[in-house]
Amino acid sequence: MTDDSTNPAQRRVVGTPQIRKEGAEKVLGRAKYVDDIEFPGMWHGATVRSTIPRGRILAIHFDESVPWHEFVIVTAADIPGNNHIQMIAADQPCLADGAVNHCDEPILLIAHPDKRLLPQAVASVRIDYEELPAVLSIEESESKREIIWGADTSTPNVFKEFVLQKGNVDEAWSSAACIVEGEYSTGAQEHLYIENNGMIADYSDDGGITVWGSLQCPFYVHKSLMAVFNLPEDKVRVIQTETGGAFGGKEDYPSIIASHAALLALKARRPIKMIYDRMEDLAATTKRHPSRTRHRTAVDKDGKLLAMEIEIATDGGAYSTLSSTVLSRATLHATGPYVCPNIRIRSRAWATNTVPYGAFRGFGAPQTIFAIERHMEHIALAVGMDPVELRRRNFLHDGDTTATQQIMREPVILDQLLDRALAVSDFYAKRERYARENATNPVKCGIGIAAFYHGSGFTGSGERRLNSLAGVDVTLQGKVRVLVSSTEFGQGTNTILAQIAAEALGISYDDVEMAPSDTHLIPNSGPTVASRTSMVVGHLIQRSGRQLIQTLKEAANLSDNYTRHDFFAACELLRARDGEVKSLSRYEAPPNIYWNDDTYTGEAYPAFAWAVYVAEVAVDTITYSAEVIDFHTVQEVGTVLNPTLAAGQIEGGVAQGIGYALYEKVQLKNGHMFNNQMTNYIMPTAQDVPPIHVYFEQIPFAYGAFGAKGIGELPHDGPAPAILNAIQNATGESFSAIPLLPEDIFLRFASYGLDPENITA
Amino acid sequence: MNQFNYLHPASTDQAVSSASSDGSKFIAGGTTLVDLMKLYVENPSTLVDVNDLPLAQVESLPNGGLRVGAMVRNSDLAFHPTVKEKYAVLSEALLSGASPQLRNMATTGGNLLQRTRCPYFRDVTAGPCNKRNPGTGCSAIDGFNRTMAILGTSDHCIATHPSDMDVAMTALEALIFIEGPKGKRSVPINDFYKLPGDTPHIENVLEPGELITHVEIPPAISTKQHYLKLRDRASYEFALASAAVVARVEGGHIHSVRIAMGGVGTRPWRAHEAEAVLTGKPATPAHFQAAAEAALRGAKPHTENAFKVELAKRCVIRALKVATA
Amino acid sequence: MSDCRIQLTINGQQTSVEAPPMKRLLDVLREDLDLTGTKEGCGEGECGSCSVRMNGELVNSCMVPILQAHGAHIETVESLAIDAELHPLQKAFLECGGAQCGICTPGMLMAATHLIAHNPNPSLEQIREGLAGNLCRCTGFIKIFDSVITAAAMEGSRTHAR
Repeated sequence: MTDDSTNPAQRRVVGTPQIRKEGAEKVLGRAKYVDDIEFPGMWHGATVRSTIPRGRILAIHFDESVPWHEFVIVTAADIPGNNHIQMIAADQPCLADGAVNHCDEPILLIAHPDKRLLPQAVASVRIDYEELPAVLSIEESESKREIIWGADTSTPNVFKEFVLQKGNVDEAWSSAACIVEGEYSTGAQEHLYIENNGMIADYSDDGGITVWGSLQCPFYVHKSLMAVFNLPEDKVRVIQTETGGAFGGKEDYPSIIASHAALLALKARRPIKMIYDRMEDLAATTKRHPSRTRHRTAVDKDGKLLAMEIEIATDGGAYSTLSSTVLSRATLHATGPYVCPNIRIRSRAWATNTVPYGAFRGFGAPQTIFAIERHMEHIALAVGMDPVELRRRNFLHDGDTTATQQIMREPVILDQLLDRALAVSDFYAKRERYARENATNPVKCGIGIAAFYHGSGFTGSGERRLNSLAGVDVTLQGKVRVLVSSTEFGQGTNTILAQIAAEALGISYDDVEMAPSDTHLIPNSGPTVASRTSMVVGHLIQRSGRQLIQTLKEAANLSDNYTRHDFFAACELLRARDGEVKSLSRYEAPPNIYWNDDTYTGEAYPAFAWAVYVAEVAVDTITYSAEVIDFHTVQEVGTVLNPTLAAGQIEGGVAQGIGYALYEKVQLKNGHMFNNQMTNYIMPTAQDVPPIHVYFEQIPFAYGAFGAKGIGELPHDGPAPAILNAIQNATGESFSAIPLLPEDIFLRFASYGLDPENITA
Repeated sequence: MNQFNYLHPASTDQAVSSASSDGSKFIAGGTTLVDLMKLYVENPSTLVDVNDLPLAQVESLPNGGLRVGAMVRNSDLAFHPTVKEKYAVLSEALLSGASPQLRNMATTGGNLLQRTRCPYFRDVTAGPCNKRNPGTGCSAIDGFNRTMAILGTSDHCIATHPSDMDVAMTALEALIFIEGPKGKRSVPINDFYKLPGDTPHIENVLEPGELITHVEIPPAISTKQHYLKLRDRASYEFALASAAVVARVEGGHIHSVRIAMGGVGTRPWRAHEAEAVLTGKPATPAHFQAAAEAALRGAKPHTENAFKVELAKRCVIRALKVATA
Repeated sequence: MSDCRIQLTINGQQTSVEAPPMKRLLDVLREDLDLTGTKEGCGEGECGSCSVRMNGELVNSCMVPILQAHGAHIETVESLAIDAELHPLQKAFLECGGAQCGICTPGMLMAATHLIAHNPNPSLEQIREGLAGNLCRCTGFIKIFDSVITAAAMEGSRTHAR
């Protein structure tokens, strides 16, 4: 069913700033995060980790000063099932068995009733290794001097490779007016959710394993636990507790910590709580993939793109985890929102002896969008064209085809977004004024732009494979419950799904609540990732709601102009007939969605969110500091379901993007995060964020909930290139790597010497 | 955290006699000590709590100076009317440090004893550190040294002194008053801190059991003052370079000036050479630059922190410009 | 070192606990007094999630050994609402979207309460300064600023107290 018939003007709940469902519990301090929960007899768990990046484990020694008989100790030998974490492949051990492939790899687990004794006990386990040479960068992995993964495959050290072809790149070079080359790199980034990873597990012979924890994807954890413990579906239960931020950082990692807590619980026969402190969380859990992207682009004299050759390399870390899907999204966003007849993209995810990189808001797209949006600036310079105009000339429009030869069937309004962004930011007037003032001011101001899209939902055939199920039921207490495995971790799942249900059912927002996020009680509506919840899961809720109304009309004579009272009365009639009031819907792909995984052609995404961002910076050429002073965002995300929450997503994503560009640097020493404290891995504070202005254009998407598309990841894609473009506008200096720190700017300006007259107060 | 004895003396005399044993530490605001105990960097056997000692007063002195008790909290000192009016450089330095929460806890005496943020010092698993374990070596010299010191370093330690307050106190030539088992004494702040040399674990002249009771700041009448701090983000961040300037300018000429630098030295760094360059000279950019060059003449950068040499010069020049404007 | 007995007033109620002297105020609140509204984010005084007011001053409870809280008056997030009536700041955080994941919210609310207690009509710049010791990774701070401005304009934002 589509929503073409729905008149936005008649909506009562969708599109309004409803108060966050769980908001009152949060502001009262009553919301229960995992560390707020205690069970009688509960012990605490901790992890002994590798201190070397690669080697064989020769011996494990337990210092005699520790009363080990008081502890429970778990090694790989205690794992009842498969010693692998189930992700896309099963190559990552749950606990190292004989060999380690990265620093901080878990080797054994200990538990004790007094958590204060655990740090000393962990430090009292000494491990002898035979060290092997480690591979610590993309370049070292490419050299293949050491093969650390896939020795038996045709592409050793490569987790995944994609080759995308459109047209014929090789024939295009000769006709180019200009060929522009560039190399761009991005660093790792830590999610820095304020609540660290944490989990509680319990085991009983009757019930099997139950875990409670901070997580995004209950059924990912469920699947992993089934394999590690060799238990059937109904003997594993995963319950999400209130989750204090995730950003992708609780997509894959919770499967590991849940397995660890559950292994200890199984052996200790009592509940076990494992809560990482900040240093452990920073050192041991996933980060955004570092990347290197090379562009070679042919343009004609009018600035039209003739051919794009793109080579992408990401650092995947020691195990494959989600690297293949991150690489896929990186690849599918590498051309930016531009049309080009000839494209060749070759992308590879490389193995290194570092902590596996994982999901992080944007999922590969921020890396390649940084590259293309910096590269467009260089092309503009090469052809002597305004970078804004260059972009406009090459924008995708309705009917154009992308790199995967997907035809743009939905309206594409990039021109409109660009015009609005230029207007609200007063772009040209500011650019002119800054240029004038910069001539005499050692603080150079500049303005820069980035245009981009973000594909909503799983890539290619992903949504079909997920085959999500979601719906609503009605409780005996007269509440509608939303039944999903989609989780709330700040982004607003509870609120928008309740709004969608209320709208579809014609009842009030307060009549709807969320079913507990418990795998025993909810259907699998897929993971809470990929900007899919509003669009895909929301649409299932909308369909379920409509379906329930239809059933009530047929089975309980619900009239067309029903009241809230009529609705619940009809529900009780239905319950008397069927024993329950429940309506579930399963995913159906929109028509004309075809995808070929072999050739990587077809409909990469059912819908795209589009945006143009404008950053303004002040670069102090005396102190080398670059500060973002203003930020304008204009985006088209389909229907905005809740304006307050939607703006909050954009503002938060922009702030993270500013951190990605200018502040956040992961320093690795032998593949171990050396700066694993908040004092030396720094994110923007309240005093660092500029004003962030948020504007939406709304073009309802026929197959999203009331027209919604994805929104969550989009805002992380644009800030970094917009900021570096602004820095180029301000200083004339071009930077191609992030994070960009003061000393990087210094290296360029130092050679200019210092005129003390120019140092102003 | 390890086990320790905890004492809670009611008088300064008692505190001093309680803390004379090896392994004793005074605890005031706790913002450095508690952190380092949690990290197993500090493992005191006895903690002597000085929070109840009557050392929390700020009093004007007959000579026009100011007496600041060791237990005066950083935020109280920063907002004290006399400090705001007469010692702006101190107020600015205090407010540029840490976060509101920490400034509410941290004390004047504790700040004078603030330990370095060198990551090798703060992480017992990060490798050798002469400050933490004398004689084991310095990991920073060939390691991550972006934030390390460029002045006053030795082959044994290049850890940066982290304080902002102490830099302002140095420019104000504060006098530190100490009580110990052998009686009372006072030490000018510039003689208080030791260079690392081959004993980087000894950071100051305090003897075992000695307690800082208060600080006297001489009058700074008719001076212009400024504290400038350059750092990686706008709040809660240690200085990459900072400069405190206290200057008397008459008729466009610098009558006298005191300059101290932070973020670049192994101790709060008084730039006597720079002061000599400026004294008696017109307050012009050229002289400011000559002063900055003089201040950094002995700088010794490492692999990642060469930019701090240039950054510190520019910081000094800008601070002088603002102060004398 | 053996436990010590600490007397303190929490949210207006006198209480006493026995705890090791270096046990963090944060842990005493959460473990001994079951006041889990106060959160740990970093344990190193950086993130401000554990902010409480101690004798009227805003502090990081992860940096306060309980021995230093002897005799102190402590206010936590649990003190803000009076019976069912939310504090104006709590109302404003709800209305303006100042809370997303909620883990920084209790500390942020305490910092904002402290700010408004001292400065009933803070400017944006003063709000940014006042909240500089509290990290939020979700909101980009914008809606938190909006919340504080909105609350400051509400009746009783300063006087609302037990």
